[in-house]
Amino acid sequence: MLPDLSALGSQFLVGLSRAMILFIVTSGLSFVLGVLRVPNVAHGSLYMIGAFSAFSISKLLGGGAMGFWLALILSPFVVALVSLASERLLFCHLYQREHLMLLLFTFALMLILGDLVKLTWGAEYRSIMAPDFFEGSVSIFGLSIPRYNLFLLILGPLVAIALWLFTNKTKIGKIARAAAVDREMVGAVGINVSWVFAFAFVLGCFLGGLGGALVAPTVSITLGMDHDIIIEAFLIVTIGGLGNMWGAMVGSLIFGLTQSFGVLFWPQFAIVFPYTAVVIVLLWRPRGMLKSVW
Amino acid sequence: MERRVLKRAFVSLGILIALSVFMLPVQAAARNIKVGIIDCYSGPAAVYGNDALNGFKLALEEINKQGVLGGQIEFTTRDTKFKVEIALNMAKELVMRENVDVLVGTINSGAALAVSDAVSKKEKVPFIVWISKTEKITGEKGHRYVFSTADNTAMGGKAGGVGLAKKPYRKYWIAGDDYSYGHDIGDAAWRNLKALKPDVEKIGESWWKVGEPDLVPYFTSIISAKPDAVIFCTGGASMTNCLKAIKSTGMASKMATWIHTAIDHAVLKPLGAEGPEGVLGTIQYLFYYPETPEQKAFVNAFESAYGSPPGFPAFNAYLTAHFIAEAFRKAGAIDTEKFVDALEGLKVKSPVGGMVEMRACDHQAMYPMYFGVTTKTPQYDFVIASDITTLTGEEVLPTCEEIAKARKK
Amino acid sequence: MKSRFKSFAPYGVIWVVLLFLPPVIPRFYTYILTAIFVTALLAMSLNMVVGHGGMFQFHHAAFYGVGAYTFSLILTKTSLPFWVGFAAGPVVAAIVGLLIGWFCVRLTRLYFGMLQISLGSLIWAIAFRWYSLTGGDDGIHGVPVPDVISSSISAYYFILILLTICLMIMYAVLRSPFGMTLQAIRDNPERCEAVGINVRRHQLLGIVIATFFAGVAGVLFVVLEQSVFPDLLFWVLSLEIFIMCLLGGWFTFAGPIMGAAIMVSLRTFVGIYTEYWTLILGIILILLIFFLPEGVWGYVLEKFGSRPYGRVERKDVDASGGERI
Repeated sequence: MLPDLSALGSQFLVGLSRAMILFIVTSGLSFVLGVLRVPNVAHGSLYMIGAFSAFSISKLLGGGAMGFWLALILSPFVVALVSLASERLLFCHLYQREHLMLLLFTFALMLILGDLVKLTWGAEYRSIMAPDFFEGSVSIFGLSIPRYNLFLLILGPLVAIALWLFTNKTKIGKIARAAAVDREMVGAVGINVSWVFAFAFVLGCFLGGLGGALVAPTVSITLGMDHDIIIEAFLIVTIGGLGNMWGAMVGSLIFGLTQSFGVLFWPQFAIVFPYTAVVIVLLWRPRGMLKSVW
Repeated sequence: MERRVLKRAFVSLGILIALSVFMLPVQAAARNIKVGIIDCYSGPAAVYGNDALNGFKLALEEINKQGVLGGQIEFTTRDTKFKVEIALNMAKELVMRENVDVLVGTINSGAALAVSDAVSKKEKVPFIVWISKTEKITGEKGHRYVFSTADNTAMGGKAGGVGLAKKPYRKYWIAGDDYSYGHDIGDAAWRNLKALKPDVEKIGESWWKVGEPDLVPYFTSIISAKPDAVIFCTGGASMTNCLKAIKSTGMASKMATWIHTAIDHAVLKPLGAEGPEGVLGTIQYLFYYPETPEQKAFVNAFESAYGSPPGFPAFNAYLTAHFIAEAFRKAGAIDTEKFVDALEGLKVKSPVGGMVEMRACDHQAMYPMYFGVTTKTPQYDFVIASDITTLTGEEVLPTCEEIAKARKK
Repeated sequence: MKSRFKSFAPYGVIWVVLLFLPPVIPRFYTYILTAIFVTALLAMSLNMVVGHGGMFQFHHAAFYGVGAYTFSLILTKTSLPFWVGFAAGPVVAAIVGLLIGWFCVRLTRLYFGMLQISLGSLIWAIAFRWYSLTGGDDGIHGVPVPDVISSSISAYYFILILLTICLMIMYAVLRSPFGMTLQAIRDNPERCEAVGINVRRHQLLGIVIATFFAGVAGVLFVVLEQSVFPDLLFWVLSLEIFIMCLLGGWFTFAGPIMGAAIMVSLRTFVGIYTEYWTLILGIILILLIFFLPEGVWGYVLEKFGSRPYGRVERKDVDASGGERI
């Protein structure tokens, strides 16, 4: 079944918007990986908390457009708070330890946060709706795309640019990048490396929470969101290049686009496509498409 | 120094706790009837597990007032976390350590099949499945000790097929969650539809991973193929995503859509007034239809106890409780073989009025299915089903001959 | 010689006790102990490459699942005799281990782990989707394991004996020159390379041996439960096995056994009382990371045992002062 050009074009746009959400979430994971050298298994849990917080905030403010926008802005900060607490109370004491211990800590954190979400919000499905403004589709160059997806398509690159400006132009961003490459040197210059790590961790989780809040209107908010997203995020970060933000963009694009095109050409086996793509990329470039930060 | 002390304290405490857990005695059976419930109370399936438990508890309140064989029915629950291995462990624990008389539960089809075979059949303990929808439970993998009060994919598919055959659609697209439930319900629906209306044509299929959050690329691809109707094979949390995507792509206004359990309250409620209209669905229980006095009493009791109206798991579990009570009363003793014999062909009162029979040839509970379409009403702040047609149990179940043939395979 | 005997004595005593337990304990405890044996074998096989080999084997469960599925498929889809399936399980698992390992050993540490997760997840996706062959997410149930070994008590002894044999082989391998080289590679791959040891080949061989035993564990699982399902191939299980190794003490030989015992017992017995046992598991893990990084068994050995078995903490710092991954 050969799809016509407009269907192809629509799929491309939709795949791009999916890639943008993936990018926002994985850029956070990548940033933490770059600076702390630890894959944060609990990143998915923070994404889930972002979605649930968006629900609660939106509900608290009575739903509607205002509720949505405020929820979008505030939930990442809620997530940032949670991650700051975890980091300062527990995580920071482990920085001198073996990597596997840090990885294990993040796994324990995932278990704990998962059950805490259940305790706080219960087991029912939650849902929030995007404001009416986002209902329906628009036509771009004759290709139809749902409005909310267009919003994501615009937001993604903005976040990317903001992140790039932040890490390259601001003092604290540059320090974080330096710490990723050589933490001993950064410490030697008199900067408190522990606080740099805290900052990096919180920023990474902030992005994860933002991704969760953004995705909330399009899915049902349930327990188990953490498991679903984390393996995808890990794979994307791996094929992109560990710690490399643009790598996260490349990885997300590969993931998002193979999925949306796979759907068009071979819908029965769409589930296998992203994994196959990942395997192919890794066999060709085992360290990821772009250079890792270290 | 301090660290050392802390370490030792921690280890000693750990050892003490471990030992004491092992030493804990099992409750001495004070000859009440013991029911062991294995279900999923974590993750996206938890909402159904909780609903079923509530329905079961409500039924037990009434039953225990009268008592059964001089005692009460008591129960204990185990959380399987949607993992088959844990379900097996817990089922064996319930049977071998807690010595339950009856096992009930689970939503996970793999777990239901595993427990049915390795625990129920092997240990000869009756197992009543109350949410898992695979037709294999009472179909090809059925046996003497397993029963089902859940609707299975054969029933859902037939109800869908019968309902859709009455509609004028010819070109169909089948789409859904890429796992056994999705494929089973799709096959069943298509099989029955084609049998009743031979001129229907399947122009394509799409399958996405279970819980896939972004369905829009799949939907835009389907819309561009322009079928008359889409059969969606999804459920639970995945179905909410599906309904949202139907709304955001405006699919319901372009073509007909049918989903088994689309009119499931657990899925429609969180969507509120934003749920999509015009989606066709089938289900075996609606808390607002039929409006019989028994239904009103049931819903009121449930709402005052648990704060929200019952869903289909509660309906299934409520029936299960009554089946267990009545079967033991009929058997006259807490004896497994007598219980199984008594349960076959037994009829109990349905919470919506009328009787529900546990069919003897396959141990499947027979009850009607409703076929309706989602609509906004001023009465509720979420969409409900309207234009409801009812299909009787006999119409939707596979025949005893078909079951016998499946089991012989 | 005498000290060797002394260090083995406690294990011997435990083993004899285990031999005499089934007739006197309730059937459920027999079942749980058997489940612990299977899990212990799986954890031990992982520790061969993680604790002793220093590799980031992040998706070990894939090989376990492959062994289990191979065995089940041969018993249900073909009419080959039982022992063929029994032998094929670990062999196929080792072949898959060789294939995946060959790609992974070209990388180090985190990349090794991530690549393995991707390849292993692909296997999971295939098993999950290939409904007609593997039964998809329903799995395969009622696998016709011969009655002689499938009853509670006979399964217990069968699996215990196999576990013992496997453990003895593993111990021999680790004490052999090959095993010693593997541990040397774990501690300092550059130095080993410099003295002419083919690091990759050693690591690959280590992986093949470990995945072989994982396959055995998979087959034993099916013997115990007569079921197989895609959960056995899922990455969460891989992480759980990892935790068992760390819980028990990954620089000791028998640590993972203790880790497996703790995890299975916790899961079963805490699960009886609360549905929040993952929360409790998480808390226990954190406490362990802070206070008992050498694992429970490692701690016990330190207190009552002889010399420390392996080294405690390790940071690789390269010349530039940054950590290598």
